[in-house]
Amino acid sequence: MTSSAIFLILVLLSLVSFAMTRQKALTRAGGDPAKLHSLPRHYGYFAATCVLLPSFFAFGIWLIFGKSIIEGLIVSGLPDRLFEVGTDQATLVLNRIRLVVENASSPETDPDILAAAQKFNDLYIRGIWAAFALSVSFGLVGFYLASNRTQPDFRARNKFERIMLIALALSSVIAIATTLGIVASLLFESLRFFHEVPVTEFVFGLHWSPQTALRADQVASSGAFGAVPLFAGTLLISFIAMLVAGPIGLLAAIYLTQYANTKMRKIAKPMLEVLAGVPTVVYGFFAALTVAPFFRDLGITLGLDIASESALAAGIVMGIMIIPFVSSLSDDAITAVPKSLKDGSLALGATPSETITQVVLPAALPGIVGAFLLAVSRAVGETMIVVMAAGMQPKLTANPFEAVTTVTVQIVALLTGDQEFDSAKTLSAFALGLALFVSTMALNVIALKIVRKYREVYD
Amino acid sequence: MTDTKIAKMTAKDVHVFYGDNHAVKGISLDLHQDEVTALIGPSGCGKSTFLRCLNRMNDTVATCRVEGKITLDNEDIYDPSIDVVQLRARVGMVFQKPNPFPKSIYDNVAYGPRIHGLAQSRTDLDEIVTVSLEKAGLWNEVKDRLDSPGTALSGGQQQRLCIARAIAVNPEVILMDEPCSALDPIATAKVEALIDELKGRYAIAIVTHSMQQAARVSQKTAFFHMGDLVEHGDTTDIFTSPKEERTRDYITGRFG
Repeated sequence: MTSSAIFLILVLLSLVSFAMTRQKALTRAGGDPAKLHSLPRHYGYFAATCVLLPSFFAFGIWLIFGKSIIEGLIVSGLPDRLFEVGTDQATLVLNRIRLVVENASSPETDPDILAAAQKFNDLYIRGIWAAFALSVSFGLVGFYLASNRTQPDFRARNKFERIMLIALALSSVIAIATTLGIVASLLFESLRFFHEVPVTEFVFGLHWSPQTALRADQVASSGAFGAVPLFAGTLLISFIAMLVAGPIGLLAAIYLTQYANTKMRKIAKPMLEVLAGVPTVVYGFFAALTVAPFFRDLGITLGLDIASESALAAGIVMGIMIIPFVSSLSDDAITAVPKSLKDGSLALGATPSETITQVVLPAALPGIVGAFLLAVSRAVGETMIVVMAAGMQPKLTANPFEAVTTVTVQIVALLTGDQEFDSAKTLSAFALGLALFVSTMALNVIALKIVRKYREVYD
Repeated sequence: MTDTKIAKMTAKDVHVFYGDNHAVKGISLDLHQDEVTALIGPSGCGKSTFLRCLNRMNDTVATCRVEGKITLDNEDIYDPSIDVVQLRARVGMVFQKPNPFPKSIYDNVAYGPRIHGLAQSRTDLDEIVTVSLEKAGLWNEVKDRLDSPGTALSGGQQQRLCIARAIAVNPEVILMDEPCSALDPIATAKVEALIDELKGRYAIAIVTHSMQQAARVSQKTAFFHMGDLVEHGDTTDIFTSPKEERTRDYITGRFG
């Protein structure tokens, strides 16, 4: 009896109850659906949910807690001999048992372990049958109750809609709860970090060198956790990106909304949106393998010193990546300007370009500002391109020809490879993540506020 | 066409197509300097479409095609040598829904003079704005708040602001496309009084759904039906002794 088989049986049960209840409702009404409060199928839906919800609930409990309960039972029944070394042994023993359970040909020889594995299998089979019986009986009870209520004047439709409403609300609660969970985990780990490193050092420190001593006698310094160079690097690259994406995206949006004919628009707009669909890692190697060497070589020809991993290359490629953001959001803002305003300006003898610069763009400005802010927040949070093309040196510089590093790059660097979760080095990643989260969220909130305020003007 | 006066604008055998849809079928009509011409007819009869041909606003509709000849002071306005921008400065337009720009009242009126370079100095511009607002009968209501946004005015005030905006570029012809259909009766009365004021200085064409309005403000009336110009003549004649049965049916409210 596998979980998927049980799942199928429960679904079948609900389908059967759907059909039976539907039929029963019809019969109770003497075959005339008009005498029922709701359509026959609504009685069916109601019964089906009455079967599915409790049975899935029971089965879900088994899926979540079943194994650990059995394991607890087995471990408590094992001879003390196996735990001689210490309390940590419990997980080790459990792992040995698990290995035997999952793989019959494992080289385990200890008779107690083999016996425990056998016991586990027995208990598991018994448990799954019990869970099966329990969930089916829950379903049957649900079916019985629903079937009892199947009277012509029972408001099955309203009840079912109520159930659906709760399901929809639950889905949104899950989304919100996940977000809150992530924020909470960022927050708590950051607090741990700030126990070891003062907030002021993190916010105002000009040095980033997150090497901490592994052993007490090591020569390495205790590390420096000043995040300013990282944020400076992030800002520098985002600024370069916006220098590229802002004008190009806005001008493209103006062309597409105001000048391009329908045919051109039909081709160009999806093409531009394809840019948004290119995986960022592809932009990343484009930046690292094509653009960065190009600028380095250009620098050699011009007598400039351009690093082979430069803020310039990363920023420009990131700018190309966010062009579709700017253009498609600005496009929306410009299209939202009523045609009557444009006509009014044209009818006064203004040329199309005068109309655009003096009437359409000012009217669309809040939307365009919102688009820019959203693009900035996207640029600040972007990781892959900068990891591949911006370098790793936490240098405090405004020179775009040098290699810099960003918040996201450092988070990647801190959390790849082996790490211990009690060192300031690892925990600093959470602090960086929190800082990044707060700043992009602030940008998004401001952007959405501006966009929404602007919408109110014309609705 | 028994008019002996020289027409300001003349349309001869004008046809308009939207793609395959033949919206206006061979209309000939004159507009005179000191007259208001009302275009009446049921919805979809082509009167607004015809009006929009007179300052080439139909150019903004990609599928629209205009045939025939329209002249302004004997110049063909569809001639390739004509600059549509200058044409629209001479033939102003007021729209159905008031459409003030999201700028201050002052900037709304100053918009046209600025883009056409009509004012040499700030004093000139102030003068134009003041006079235009006075002509539009709005000056007394807004003179203390020229800096507040035009969109904050009431619907009737907005429409008079749009008329002031059109007057400010000193046009010769003013086209009005149902200028009162979005206004309440009091605002409508004010706009109608304004049209009466403006009559002597501009050739005015007004599209309207209200027969009473046509009778009140116009000297000439043209009745459109299904893209045809059914009847055209002095407003009093059209309303008291229409020659065509369709005209009579429409103005007595039997259809449309």
